[in-house]
Amino acid sequence: MNSFTQAIGFGIVTASVIAVSAVAGTLQFGVTRYINFALGDYMTLGAYSAYVLSVVWGINFWISLLVACAIGAVVSLLIARIVLAPFVRKRVSSFVMLIVTLGVSLILSDVILAIASGNPKQYATAIQDEAAFQLGPFLVTPAQIVVVAIACAAMVAIHMLLAHTSVGKSMRAISDNPDLARTSGISVSRMTDIVWMVSGALAAGGGVLLALNTGVFTPTFGEGYLFVIFSAVVVGGAGQPYGAMLGALVTGMATELGALVLTSAYKSDIAFVILILALAVRPRGLLPSRASMS
Amino acid sequence: MEDILFFVANLGLFFFAYVILTVGLNIQFGYAGLLNFAYITFWAIGAYVTGVLILGPAPGHGITYILGFNLPFLVALIAGGVAAGALAALMGALILRRLRSDFVAIGLFALSFALYDIVGNYTPLFNGWDGILGVLPPLNIFQLDANAFTIYYLVPVGLATLILYWAANLLQNSPYGRALRAVRDDIDVAASFGKNTVWLRWSALVIGCIYAGIAGGLMIGFLSALSPASWASSETFIIWAALIVGGAGNNRGMLLGTFLFVIVALEATRFIPMPANVQNLIPALRLIVIGAVLIVVLLFRPQGLLPERRRIYALPGQS
Repeated sequence: MNSFTQAIGFGIVTASVIAVSAVAGTLQFGVTRYINFALGDYMTLGAYSAYVLSVVWGINFWISLLVACAIGAVVSLLIARIVLAPFVRKRVSSFVMLIVTLGVSLILSDVILAIASGNPKQYATAIQDEAAFQLGPFLVTPAQIVVVAIACAAMVAIHMLLAHTSVGKSMRAISDNPDLARTSGISVSRMTDIVWMVSGALAAGGGVLLALNTGVFTPTFGEGYLFVIFSAVVVGGAGQPYGAMLGALVTGMATELGALVLTSAYKSDIAFVILILALAVRPRGLLPSRASMS
Repeated sequence: MEDILFFVANLGLFFFAYVILTVGLNIQFGYAGLLNFAYITFWAIGAYVTGVLILGPAPGHGITYILGFNLPFLVALIAGGVAAGALAALMGALILRRLRSDFVAIGLFALSFALYDIVGNYTPLFNGWDGILGVLPPLNIFQLDANAFTIYYLVPVGLATLILYWAANLLQNSPYGRALRAVRDDIDVAASFGKNTVWLRWSALVIGCIYAGIAGGLMIGFLSALSPASWASSETFIIWAALIVGGAGNNRGMLLGTFLFVIVALEATRFIPMPANVQNLIPALRLIVIGAVLIVVLLFRPQGLLPERRRIYALPGQS
């Protein structure tokens, strides 16, 4: 049992946390063609919703997780319909959308701050206190296994959605070529609504996973994690869900293996280096799509 | 009476420093269409570098920082601006070449969080999360006390603001400024007319960040201490809001925006006494209001309160 295999184990856990939110971001980017800077705050919203439900109201943690995802979906849809849609109708440029979503991010995180205060919060689930055990070459905690299992389940669900349902196929069609998709009778506005809901639910779930993995969370923890998510999105090729999963693996492994060399305080800086490398060297990503940024 | 004077002078210092910041951001966004969401980071670099150059060598005993040369303020201030500009030059060289502007924004946004972590965790640099402190009031040749110094310090800061504002106006009306606006409005058309779009955007990024660095260096003179807590990303957002609500591309609109946000919304409310149990509430509400105002302005009056005046040039052959 050495620190290298242990770091690989941590890498899988971190990649799982990143993957859920990265897929949320990239699916939405593929359909809407603009970046959502509030994605990190949807994660925070998910983490706090699950906290209120499970700790404050004492509801079962797993039910709280599902309800948090539902809250994420509804809030994401409402924001898209009420705040973002008027801008999209005016056909503003992608960087105006960026400023608008940054404004949404600021409002959301400060609403959470005003309600929940800035003190760090923590879940009270039993799995967080259980001791680590040996699983093959890795020393893992039950919380980490839960994180990986939920992330894998979410990825399989996304794969089923994209590959085997008409909704998923329509999403991919819009992401590939919106004009062609529209001419073939796909309702772009309905798909946009659906993708915002899926993205919001995934991001909220990803926020709960991140909170389980880090232990404590504050109103800005999702925002601070956003560029780690973006790193995975860009490495995989923006708009490419399978690319985002691959990007999550690259980013997760690199941050945990890099922490062996540096100290763990600089994990997010490694993600930053990967993001800048990807932007500078291969901005279309490992699995480029038409919706990429060049 | 003296208290009121001190209060107003203090607001004046903030106003001047934020004007420099907003002018710099206007060069990047209003002139060149660059989205720099890491802007406050360049302010911080300027402030830190100026601060550690004025300070003497680090005393040890848990206080560590680089440099510490006891340099004169003006030299340190220029070095602070140069440091901010150099960081921008490096980042610009890495990411401006081939990217759509929203992905440039992601790169810069990530830079702000990464540097925040590095400055906080790596204590030998700028003393980590505790930050640097004890920067003496600069240019204090008359040995004034704190209140009198605040009023006196308005003079050099105001002078710097005037010079930088004037320079930005000069830049706007120069051929270089026109080329920047062409790049902003349509990068492909500008490129097809032979403009070097990469160089234009890169240089606008560097110039704007030098402005940020100088604003930071001037501010460390009256803040006297700086830690990562004072340059969270929401600070960048306030400057953005001031610029867009005032009117991007128009330097007078930007003055109005700075006045509204920085003086009325931000600094004036900072002195309202509030009970300890709702400490987070007022800052949070303030940012919620700023965010909402920005979104409403972007939707209903995207050109801002005082829009950019667009000049129409006659076609050759027409009079």
